[in-house]
Amino acid sequence: MSTQATALERYRGQPAAKRPGHDPLPYSLLLPSLLLIGLINVYPFIVGFLYSLKDGSLLKQGDFVGLANYFQLPAMSDFRHALLFSAIFAICNVAGSYAIGLGLALLLNQEMPGRGFYRVALLLPWIIPSIVSIVSWRWMIADQNGLINQALDLVGVGPIFFLGSERWAIFSVIMIKIWRSFPFMMISCLAALQSIDRDLYEAAHIDGAGRWQTFRDITLPQIAGISVVLWILMTIWSVNDFETPWLLTQGGPSNSTENLIILAYKYTFTRNDVGTGSAIAFVSLIILMVLAWMLLRRQARSEV
Amino acid sequence: MRDQGFVNQSAIDRRTLLKGAAALGLAGAAGQRFMRSGAAATNLQFWDMVWGPPEYIDTGKKLVDQFNKANPDITAEYRSTPWNNWYQTFTTAIGAGTAPDVSTGAAYQSVQFFDQGAVAPVDDLIAKMKASGELDDFLPGTYERLQYQNHYVALPWAIDIRIPYYRKDLFDAAGVKPPTNWDEFAAAAKALTKGNQYGVVSCGDTLGTHHMYFFILDNGGGLFTEDGKPDLMNDRNVEALTFFSDLVKAGSVHPASAGYTSDDAVKAFTQGAAAMLITNPGFETRAPEIADKIAILDPITGPHGDKGTIAWVNNIMLYEQSKDKAAASTFLEWWLSNLTPLWTEGHLTQLPVRKSIASNEYFTQNPNMKQILDQWVPVAKTTATHYPGIFPALNEVEGEGVMQTLVQDLLQGKDVKESMTKADERMKEIVK
Repeated sequence: MSTQATALERYRGQPAAKRPGHDPLPYSLLLPSLLLIGLINVYPFIVGFLYSLKDGSLLKQGDFVGLANYFQLPAMSDFRHALLFSAIFAICNVAGSYAIGLGLALLLNQEMPGRGFYRVALLLPWIIPSIVSIVSWRWMIADQNGLINQALDLVGVGPIFFLGSERWAIFSVIMIKIWRSFPFMMISCLAALQSIDRDLYEAAHIDGAGRWQTFRDITLPQIAGISVVLWILMTIWSVNDFETPWLLTQGGPSNSTENLIILAYKYTFTRNDVGTGSAIAFVSLIILMVLAWMLLRRQARSEV
Repeated sequence: MRDQGFVNQSAIDRRTLLKGAAALGLAGAAGQRFMRSGAAATNLQFWDMVWGPPEYIDTGKKLVDQFNKANPDITAEYRSTPWNNWYQTFTTAIGAGTAPDVSTGAAYQSVQFFDQGAVAPVDDLIAKMKASGELDDFLPGTYERLQYQNHYVALPWAIDIRIPYYRKDLFDAAGVKPPTNWDEFAAAAKALTKGNQYGVVSCGDTLGTHHMYFFILDNGGGLFTEDGKPDLMNDRNVEALTFFSDLVKAGSVHPASAGYTSDDAVKAFTQGAAAMLITNPGFETRAPEIADKIAILDPITGPHGDKGTIAWVNNIMLYEQSKDKAAASTFLEWWLSNLTPLWTEGHLTQLPVRKSIASNEYFTQNPNMKQILDQWVPVAKTTATHYPGIFPALNEVEGEGVMQTLVQDLLQGKDVKESMTKADERMKEIVK
């Protein structure tokens, strides 16, 4: 007892720097990173949240209005539309890019000539900078002189003015987003497919399982874990996507392709309503955080 | 008897006093000059929007160099500022305390920033220019418009205007004469529509909204009442936009227009996919390959005998954050008196607000410029019509997207009144 007390007294008598767990060195090494994170993440987060509780513009801060900016959102038709479009955009993109990505991954997982070339070539939509690919797409679909309409003309269809009407614009924005997203799905699915034990397929083959049965009962369950992670990640990237709709349509025509991020931008910078814009941005953030939480939970489960 | 000594002494004293005063004055002036040359306030930041081609920016820089040579106690720096995200550029700078001393800007930039306490009034400079008679050199309705809350919030330096160009070659091929009224315009647009060629091309961005304003103002309409209340649904406006919508429904407007940007519309017109395009002056310099195939229509008479088009008085303004407003004011005054090379060397496509510049042979010898100055400028009106001045919400009405949504609705053939009602409700929210 006395020995313990003496040790404790000795320990307490030591300078803090020498106490185990109280060495300031790790903290001082962390400090620059913490400061940087605070500067570029925490500070804008707090300032953005405070903006969402006020009215006024970026230059002339208005009064504190509490959560009024949040409460008004459900009554705003443009917010409801942007929320709906964000959901449609995300669901279609996740489904479309996953279906194409998985299909191509299954093909590229087979022994075939030029497999290496296809693997690289099919990654191009993911690699090309978005400004280049989206503006190129815009040129290809904007009017009757675009490449797509020239091709449709060869088979006696069109011209279709893809960006000139709401339905076609929504279709075009989603299709181009799928085109930009499928390579990531493909390469991730391919990695997952290659990690499946080949013995399972051999056993299934010996048992007389057909292709569809093998795919349904072996492939899909084996890649289910990575697939859920991919769906959640792609949903986050779709909800968060600014450049695809903005560079193609700027949210038009008639706001038909306006998602939450574009709406937040427009309220903040073109309508000078920084409170509403920040509130929309925070609602988007909450949606993304829920998705991120689901992703982390899934990952934690798979680690267990 | 006069006290000579006092006189003499007084005379000496006066001479001494005068000399002393002169010496003090010189010393003071020198000191002031020294202070200016040594203090940070003598450095001026001049932000000039990209109003013209690359040679415009070069000319702007040259002019600033000339100013610096003529005013050794002030050093102005020229910064060419792109239009993309201009509002964010300025608000960020103002928020960070790094606003320019002087800047050019769009028609309502000054009043918007003045309302937010960022732009300084130029009442003193206006009074000075009025006293010297210099203001008489400005075209009527230019500087007078830049008043808000009994202050002049900027000075005008150029006029931006939209005018209808047409393809002479396509008109000749179709045997159609340039229209002079709305009926002829609709008939010409219809006659020029065949195959993949259309009578008119518009677009879903800001230029498309100018096409709506063109017909509204040409019909004697306006977005506001004389006391500044939103008035989108007045009969003249409804009539004008119904005419615009009828052009769309008749198939005379390029069907891709709702999704087009202004660049796309310009490209379609240049390629001959459309016969008429309302755009800004100087199109022939932007598309020299078709310069001999295009011309400008004369003002088109509306159904009630009105004529008009949309125009803006572009601003040059001082900022509250300027550390030396006197020097900034000196620069502003000098700039306004030495603008001519921006056109003659910089090939600026805006129009001058000063009569002395408009009378330069650069304009009088250019038939298109002369036509615009003689025929279109006198009938041009602003988006504030029928309100006589400017106010901050104008920038939001033009820039926040309500009008873009309206033109996109019309270009998709949606119901005119329904689309206008939606826009009217939004306008009333903006202009409370």
